[in-house]
Amino acid sequence: MLKAGNFTVAELENVHITIGTIVNALESTTGSAEERTKSKIPASKNAGPTPMPGISALRNWDFKLLERYPPIYTPTEDMCTMCTFGPCNLTGNIEGACGINMATHQAKLFLQSCLLGASAHSAHGRHLLHHLIEKYGRDHPIDVGPSNLKTPNIQTVTGIKPETLGDLESVMDYVEEQITTLLATLHTGQEGAAIGFESKALHAGMIDHVGMEVSDVAQMSCYPMPKAEADTPLVDVGIGSIDTSKPVVICIGHNVAAVTYIMDYMDKHDLFDKIEIAGLCCTALDMTRYHSKADRNAKIVGTIAKELKFIRSGIPDVIVVDEQCVRADILREAEKLGMPVISTNEKIMYDLLDRSGDDVEDILRDLKEGKEPGVVLFDFDKVGELVPRLALAISPARREKGLTALPDDETFKTLVSSCTLCGACSLACPTNLPIEDAMKSAASGDIVPFESIHDLCIGCGRCEFACPKDIPILNVIDKAAQNVIKEEYGKVRVGRGQVSDPEIRAEGVNLVLGTTPGIIAMVGCSNYPDGTKDLYTIAEEMLRRNYIVVTSGCNAMDIGMHKDENGQTLYERFSPRFEKGGFLNVGSCVSNSHITGAAIKVAAIFAGRNITGNYEEIADYVLNRVGAVGIAWGAYSQKAASIGTGCNRLGVPVIVGPHGGKYRRALIGRPYDTDKWTVLDARNGETMPIPPVPEFMITTAETVGEVLPMLAKNCIRPSDNSMGRMIKLTHYIELCEKYLGKMPDDWHIFIRSEADLPLAKREPLLRILEKEHGWEIDWKKKKIIKGPLTKVDVSAQPTNVPRLCKEATK
Amino acid sequence: MIDTTKNTRMYTTFGTKSATLLKIGVAAKLISKAKRPLLIVGAGILGDELLKRALSLGRLGIPIAATGDSLKGFAQTDVEAAYVNLHSLAQFMADQNWTGLDGTSSYDLAIFLAHRKYYVNQVLSGFKNFIPVRTMAIDRHYIQNADMSFGNLHAEDHLHALDELIESIEIARRE
Repeated sequence: MLKAGNFTVAELENVHITIGTIVNALESTTGSAEERTKSKIPASKNAGPTPMPGISALRNWDFKLLERYPPIYTPTEDMCTMCTFGPCNLTGNIEGACGINMATHQAKLFLQSCLLGASAHSAHGRHLLHHLIEKYGRDHPIDVGPSNLKTPNIQTVTGIKPETLGDLESVMDYVEEQITTLLATLHTGQEGAAIGFESKALHAGMIDHVGMEVSDVAQMSCYPMPKAEADTPLVDVGIGSIDTSKPVVICIGHNVAAVTYIMDYMDKHDLFDKIEIAGLCCTALDMTRYHSKADRNAKIVGTIAKELKFIRSGIPDVIVVDEQCVRADILREAEKLGMPVISTNEKIMYDLLDRSGDDVEDILRDLKEGKEPGVVLFDFDKVGELVPRLALAISPARREKGLTALPDDETFKTLVSSCTLCGACSLACPTNLPIEDAMKSAASGDIVPFESIHDLCIGCGRCEFACPKDIPILNVIDKAAQNVIKEEYGKVRVGRGQVSDPEIRAEGVNLVLGTTPGIIAMVGCSNYPDGTKDLYTIAEEMLRRNYIVVTSGCNAMDIGMHKDENGQTLYERFSPRFEKGGFLNVGSCVSNSHITGAAIKVAAIFAGRNITGNYEEIADYVLNRVGAVGIAWGAYSQKAASIGTGCNRLGVPVIVGPHGGKYRRALIGRPYDTDKWTVLDARNGETMPIPPVPEFMITTAETVGEVLPMLAKNCIRPSDNSMGRMIKLTHYIELCEKYLGKMPDDWHIFIRSEADLPLAKREPLLRILEKEHGWEIDWKKKKIIKGPLTKVDVSAQPTNVPRLCKEATK
Repeated sequence: MIDTTKNTRMYTTFGTKSATLLKIGVAAKLISKAKRPLLIVGAGILGDELLKRALSLGRLGIPIAATGDSLKGFAQTDVEAAYVNLHSLAQFMADQNWTGLDGTSSYDLAIFLAHRKYYVNQVLSGFKNFIPVRTMAIDRHYIQNADMSFGNLHAEDHLHALDELIESIEIARRE
């Protein structure tokens, strides 16, 4: 029987026959995962040492990272409650009944977070893949735009170069095997050392980027989504952009598969001017990618922080949910306001009846009459027809009844006056907002404090459960902020997908030499410490300094909510291309794989490194030469933990906001420990000192004023040339002066020669070097004679992997 | 004196070990007896009133670590402060070989003021479990994961409490 794989014909040298997917749908159920996966690996002589690495294959690399960036644990609870030996109090790093100590338990919980994240994205990918293969077939080609390197994460990790949707199944087989194996290690009595769990967490993070890439590449290949296009259209974002005179359909979650049927139906029946269709969370972003025609477009309401607020407003008529980042109380809240909920994905079904086998007319009638609060519907053709028809049918009556959870003016006054100022709400609020002070002001007629609380509020509703007077606090905030909410609209540039090979070819040299000072990847969720404006401040500051800012997911939405004095968003002000000062939206949560993908592409295209099954070498390259920093200022989810950890294993440092301490562990280096800050020069295997950057793999920051200098500093890399180092240092020093009111204490450790000094300040800085740091300066030539810890050598080949040194290869 | 030990409503309940309630007199004594205390101030210090108190504590000779962007509060003053990231500071303090922000010696008492409650509490759980340095929170919130903490105080009472603390340290020093 013919099987897929690589064959050599005996006696015919250099003749290889590769047979790809030849069998029918049964293929995915025949043969072992390994057999099927190996058949997709290109000729082995081209592959690196670790195609499809198991959970131990990259352990040495992990240990190198962890030695320089040791974990620091910040437990959220003192107890381990995972098995019935316990609960065990582990306070003070003592051991519990199974022998685990606090550090190891925290590392285990961190792995758990990464696995939850990786499995959410990967299961999303598997679902899409099943669906798309059923619709488009296994042989549907992978198409991500003008790139030869179509799937950088997949190729680097697994060695597979998928050409068709069917090829992605083999990748998913590998991903799922890794997740299951890692999950098994969480059971009591398995891994016993913190560092063991840490290496596994890094593995889970890496796997997450493979799973995300499968998800996004699959949908980009099949749907009419932009494929590495820069000038994508701008779409509306914000509650204020919703036309409430029309019936409103709101789609919540991350998986756009079912929603595409609704949009197709609306397109076919010319319903885009009769119904308002919008999304919350990443489904919204993928809706705009799916259908970005100017007059027939979906809108973006916002992030998970807006879910409860938008539902309570009463504006949506029908709610469609899929998966991930959908609040658990959606059905309860919607039911109170007569909004039917259509569940389209097995992951979220509540207690709703599965009506997939029923006639659309019957379902429509039952929902119209309110016989059921919603339905489970897995037949997407039926979803496509039901949802618009249902919205049209129930909207007039809902509008007439004026269904909303918000109080009227009189009730508002009564509610705020009933507050006893006990402060229980502020204590319960995850961001400790001064709610009782705002209540006091509102009772005397001043609603301004509530208006400012509105933007800072993450819309969780925990305050309401804390209130002894049962004041519906969230509704009170929203009622008070109605004038602000009406003005909440902005623009988002539709997600572009990947950064293409030609773009990397043009920009790679600037990134590695440092003349483009760095890439700032602004990703993650909406758990911000000080509202959404911070994102705008960060992005604008870095864009004006010519950093490339890449965004995705909820960050991409919230940045678009703010405008300059001319009413323009950053999307309108800055170039959408991958170039100095460019501002790119790659797309939804799973599009984050394109950010790590871009770093891998720099190694492949600019440096000509073989990426196939060669993870360690590529990560080593990225760590030492690609000045990229990720920032997830509002990270809340486990997915953010796994995305960040995947960046870390690839050598990209990540900063999370102050809520990020609750992830329980950070990886922070100790700059004063000079032994840790060396690399090998691959030309001769000699040890060379490097400046202590990046200082961390993952850490937290307190405020925007702190994070901006951190971003600039941690874009510095050993490979910078003098021009690059000078540019990066100029930004670091200027940002410290601007936001911390002072020059940084450590700027001198980045100076290798006078050419690294910021041009405008060269002389005064030389003077400081001489006076305060004891360096020897030749004042006639304005040259540094003695002092620097590191030297400029642009042809040096910094590496942390001994086998990559010439001496080793001899 | 302001009773700083009244209100101990917790931010959340997740642990078995919570901060001992801290009276001003005890705080003053511990600070003045410490060999090398470190006052760690967060971004909440910015603004006149709290900053004034931090400066007074600095003038008593207590070294100051400025986390977040709080350093800019000290920029045009006679009080020296060193920027450090709060999470990094915990990492450094966990290292027995660390010689402090000025490279001289390590600290035996960490005093926290003006941080976001949820943030500092989380970093302090690192101290509680892994770092052998005594911790004290003199904020207006009860910080469970510190070794010792003021209870929840109204903003005005908190300022008075800090004034009384400063005065008590001065007195203890004189004694």
